[in-house]
Amino acid sequence: MALPRWTALAPVLLFALTGMLVLLVDTFFPDTRRRSVLSGLSTLGSLAAVAVSGWFILSGPGTAFPPAPDSGATEGGPILLFQGQLTVDAMALLFFVVVGSVAALVSIASYDYLEEHSYQGAYYSLVMLAATGMALMATANSLAVAFIALELSSLPSYALVAYLKQNRGSVEAGLKYFLVGALSSAVLVYGISLVYGTTGALGFDAVAAALSGVDDAGLNGALGVGVLMVLGGFAFKTASVPFHFWAPEAYEGSPAPISAFLSSASKAAGFALAIRVFVTAFPPEVMLETLGIDWVFAFQVLAIVTMTVGNFAAATQEEVKRMLAYSSVGHAGYVLIGLAALAPTASGANTDVVLGASMMHLVVYGFMNTGAFLFVAMVEYWGLGRTFEDYNGLATRAPVACLAMTVCLFSLAGLPIGGGFMSKFVLFFGAVNAGFWWLAAVGAINSALSLYYYARVVKAMWIEDPADDLEITRQPLGLYAAVVAAALLTVLALPAFGFVSEVAVDAAASLLPGA
Amino acid sequence: MAVPVEYYLLLSAAVFCVGLFGILTRRNALMFLMSVELMLNAANINFVAFSQYWGNLTGQVFALFVLALAAAEVAIGIGIILVLYRNFGDVDVTLAREMRW
Repeated sequence: MALPRWTALAPVLLFALTGMLVLLVDTFFPDTRRRSVLSGLSTLGSLAAVAVSGWFILSGPGTAFPPAPDSGATEGGPILLFQGQLTVDAMALLFFVVVGSVAALVSIASYDYLEEHSYQGAYYSLVMLAATGMALMATANSLAVAFIALELSSLPSYALVAYLKQNRGSVEAGLKYFLVGALSSAVLVYGISLVYGTTGALGFDAVAAALSGVDDAGLNGALGVGVLMVLGGFAFKTASVPFHFWAPEAYEGSPAPISAFLSSASKAAGFALAIRVFVTAFPPEVMLETLGIDWVFAFQVLAIVTMTVGNFAAATQEEVKRMLAYSSVGHAGYVLIGLAALAPTASGANTDVVLGASMMHLVVYGFMNTGAFLFVAMVEYWGLGRTFEDYNGLATRAPVACLAMTVCLFSLAGLPIGGGFMSKFVLFFGAVNAGFWWLAAVGAINSALSLYYYARVVKAMWIEDPADDLEITRQPLGLYAAVVAAALLTVLALPAFGFVSEVAVDAAASLLPGA
Repeated sequence: MAVPVEYYLLLSAAVFCVGLFGILTRRNALMFLMSVELMLNAANINFVAFSQYWGNLTGQVFALFVLALAAAEVAIGIGIILVLYRNFGDVDVTLAREMRW
């Protein structure tokens, strides 16, 4: 069956339409008792986007959308839209699935979390619009689209973080997130302007073509600064080290479902964009040999510093949500290994495995990290405290939820209970095979350290005695469903890992030149 | 008489640095917003100048997009500064210290 080619964007359009529909329903029925309709609509919209992307992945984008006879495009290749400004390929589809699943889990969980809050229509439509931006980031094939998609996902996120406007923590988190975000988007756009200045193009392929033909060395300095500034802009979105300061504040202060959304989906989208820009627009071979700019080295430094800073800071925290925030910084460091191992010296057979492993880790991380943050949302819903001690003996009151949380945490640490084990294993193993044993070693040491602080939560929940007044009065159905679903998906990622890794490695291989 | 493109680059770098200096030193959130605007417009200078230099319209069109996005960003920013004022009674960015930095 041949569909029109623009329908390859169906997942992105579904997010956008759902956002509009939620806003429309809220306009006609501005009644807070309709919150099940709003939450249900955005959940259904996200699940539909996941289903459509899953179908495209299974059938292969080239089968559902045969290329036009005169376009010269190959069967099964990426689908270029709007004169190559957008590309829908295997990697984009994979990230549609990540963003869609996280958005669905967050929408279900928000049903209970937002029980007593107003402006729910705005909340859900902002979540959907941010998801639109994140999905668009995965398809961007030009620096212009990259910047617009990044802003489309950032602007709703600022508003969502500051959503609890009577709550000083939420407002402070929103302010800090906005200030750092505005600064880094200015840095990003200035970097883009320098890249445009030296190449005269914004499309990724056109930039790469212009770079390989450059012979005028006069503007190379400007190009180097531009690439570094673009890297800085992406480091903000993925909460990697030089621009990670906002992450613990924003995740701690914002409503917990939004922390889950930002730390999983937004980070994944940022990495999707970073991978595409740095692999297709600034190919490492060209950058190093003709221009002498070694951005792979910058990523190696970033990966190591991000892993270490994130994990050591997480180990010293007293509050569970803040610990998860720093652990999210640490996980950004693991994913950066995929880009750090792209050096031209690495043997070509393994770079696609390492890059694919980064994508796999983002997929699995999307589930397990969302589950952990949504459990924190549940604890906030019960009105218990924020520190590790406040979780003491929680398993005696809510064993199912605590079991799900335990699965998510151990999978985050890399124990073979969920998909987190496999994705980390492939990532480190691939890095060793590509000749970067020291990156893998630092990663393994950090993983071992991370087990300490994840186990602290598990110990508090299962082993410590509950306080006498610990009581749970309400059973939030939506939050329970979301946390258990996230834990189930994390466990299911273990048997399904072969399939996920195949998709991810294929996506990485099709992205890398000469493969 | 054409101005060499390097001069535009110097001008935009200067504007960018003024903006960056403002962000690093100002405590007033509104001044902060203005500094970010300066940095975005420094990029716009580059886009328009290099659009002329390369002889294509890509840069000019993208500069228009940047202007629109900057306006959207300021709208969100003003909203957040408004709730900041309501909760903390001031627009000083250093007052918001409920959490450890």
